[in-house]
Amino acid sequence: MANSDKTKKSPNIIAVGGGKGGSGKSIFSALLAFWMARRGYRTILVDVDLGGANIHTLLGLKNPDRTLNDFITKRHEVLDDICIETAEKNLRLICGASDILSLANPFFSQKMKLMTHLERLDTDYIVLDLGAGTSFNTLDFLLIAHQKIIVLTPEPTSIQNAYIFARNAVYRKLSRISNNSPTLQHLIKIAMDPKNILKIRTIKELLQFIEESDEKEITELIIKEIGNMKFGIVTNMVRTPKEKNAGSIIKIVANKYLNVQSEELGHVPYDSHIQTMVSDMIPLTEINPSSPAFGNIYEIACLLLGSRI
Amino acid sequence: MDERINRQNSVVNRIIDGTITIDSIDEFKNLLEAFPNNSRLHRVFADLLKKKKAMNAPAAYHKAADLFLKEGLPLQAITSKILEWRIDKPSDEEKMIFFSVLGACNPQSIPSQEFFPKLESAELLDLMARMELYSCAPNTRVIEFGDEETILFFIVSGVLEKSLFHRPALQSQAQKTSPENLMESDIFGDIYPFETVLLSEAEISSLSPVELLTISRADLFALCSRCPNLGKWVQVLFSSRMKTKQGTPLKTIRKTARHPLPTQVSLKIFQKDGSRQPLTLNGFTEDVSLGGACVVLGLNYQTGDPALLTGAPVKIQMGLPIESIKLNILGDIVWGKEILSEGRKMSVVGIKFKEINPIDRGLLEEYCLGSEAEQNLIWSLWSTLIKSEA
Repeated sequence: MANSDKTKKSPNIIAVGGGKGGSGKSIFSALLAFWMARRGYRTILVDVDLGGANIHTLLGLKNPDRTLNDFITKRHEVLDDICIETAEKNLRLICGASDILSLANPFFSQKMKLMTHLERLDTDYIVLDLGAGTSFNTLDFLLIAHQKIIVLTPEPTSIQNAYIFARNAVYRKLSRISNNSPTLQHLIKIAMDPKNILKIRTIKELLQFIEESDEKEITELIIKEIGNMKFGIVTNMVRTPKEKNAGSIIKIVANKYLNVQSEELGHVPYDSHIQTMVSDMIPLTEINPSSPAFGNIYEIACLLLGSRI
Repeated sequence: MDERINRQNSVVNRIIDGTITIDSIDEFKNLLEAFPNNSRLHRVFADLLKKKKAMNAPAAYHKAADLFLKEGLPLQAITSKILEWRIDKPSDEEKMIFFSVLGACNPQSIPSQEFFPKLESAELLDLMARMELYSCAPNTRVIEFGDEETILFFIVSGVLEKSLFHRPALQSQAQKTSPENLMESDIFGDIYPFETVLLSEAEISSLSPVELLTISRADLFALCSRCPNLGKWVQVLFSSRMKTKQGTPLKTIRKTARHPLPTQVSLKIFQKDGSRQPLTLNGFTEDVSLGGACVVLGLNYQTGDPALLTGAPVKIQMGLPIESIKLNILGDIVWGKEILSEGRKMSVVGIKFKEINPIDRGLLEEYCLGSEAEQNLIWSLWSTLIKSEA
């Protein structure tokens, strides 16, 4: 159902991350954005993998004429000017700029400008394809999103990285909220030492400790913000029924140790057809509708359209 | 935790798995000075020497074999020894010394590793003479579904994927199911009992560069007929394998756990002779471990070939996602090279950490791995939710 409301409102931002490279984040992001658009919602897919942008290639664009670099360097003043139409109606793309190494680590002001302008885009949904790893930039883009999706594959290292991604996002959030409170900043710093004298081992224990502090106002804010932090989990490239459980691992451990509730959005089966398309540089917009991965991502898109995680 | 996923030194692992190639013997020697006891690194070095037809290749294989035995890896030791002895024929005394050290080694509790030290010298010599080495690139099909099983494969290094086939009905087409990974020190090839000729029920392909030590069914059968002791241990090897097939796979997880955590770092690189002002650079880690990091230098590095930085002491300041936390680490640059990424040259250096205070080490450990309790729960859930039998 298309959003026919012409009154301008902030777009719903969905960030897709996961820590590990090769977990299929970009393909998932592209197909998720595709489905949002196909369902009639104006959608912009943004490649914020600033060190290794490549999502344009997945959509069949070899050399995009406008990228985020044009915005950062002020060649274009508004993000809308660097949006590129795609073959799919309602779907536009903002390309990253992997050719500019410095953009992998933008200045704080550049990052803030980009974030502010993202929220001003006239669209229904923005899908952010985050880079691998847990750098400040990646985490900060995750934290501005309304829906935070972690994509992992059913491999131990991917699960481990997905959990570290979630954990570092929580620490980053804590750090930013407590920015104006030296006492809490100090407490968080102590808690980061796994063998700290206060015997705080997890974020859950840290939150309990913070609750006992004298800084009531900020404490309430921290408890509320962390309590509101939720992740949607997608297990990608699933080959066996048991592998679907990989997302549950993150859900259980994040709940136990991070005090964060997560929702398993579903799984995406391993689909050699998609790998072939990527190898042959066939745009993902031309995907065969009978592809099992495509079908599962449709279900995940419907779930996201129905509610904010 | 499985030792095989606990190899944290990403710099070295990248060289071992072939992601980074070092083509200079001198550069490699510098690296070995930093990692003198790394058996796999010595093995890669020996291969480089062999490729360059260097005289000291046999000595390098000899060193690698010694180190593998100390780690309880007779399979890898024997592979190095085969390569050594095929270049440089051993004396009887050299053979006896090796077999006696092999017999006394304490192998890891893996059937393929326990197999070799049980054999008598003459049996081992016969076996080694008939074994072949086979290397393949990723995505190479090693066994096709329906092939006659004629070869026993020992995985010396690398990862393969085994996909079983089944036919839902007699006349229907076989369908691929249940892929599983075969890892270093696993064996495959259904050649036992020797009298039964089996057709492969699986398709096996390499997922990474793989090295295999092989022996044909005919040769192994002939040897076992002549040497009852060998026959007995081959039977034990296959019966352990049958148990493994029915239970948990020998290796269920990837051999290395790298942490692809791009993290901002600033480096202060000191001149080797201390003659000039240190070079101050910013960059970010491509991956980081408790032992070292692979650092992409920022655009301000325009001083020349990064390989020239090899051997230089370096002070690293690493910013963790908590803004106020910066780790201070002392290390050495153990390699440097230019890589081409997206058509652009970038300078990358490998750093081995030397000094890190206990608090910063704890923080780095936490950053890389999370707390022990969290990790234990992840592994426990992995075993119960994904790897356990239905």
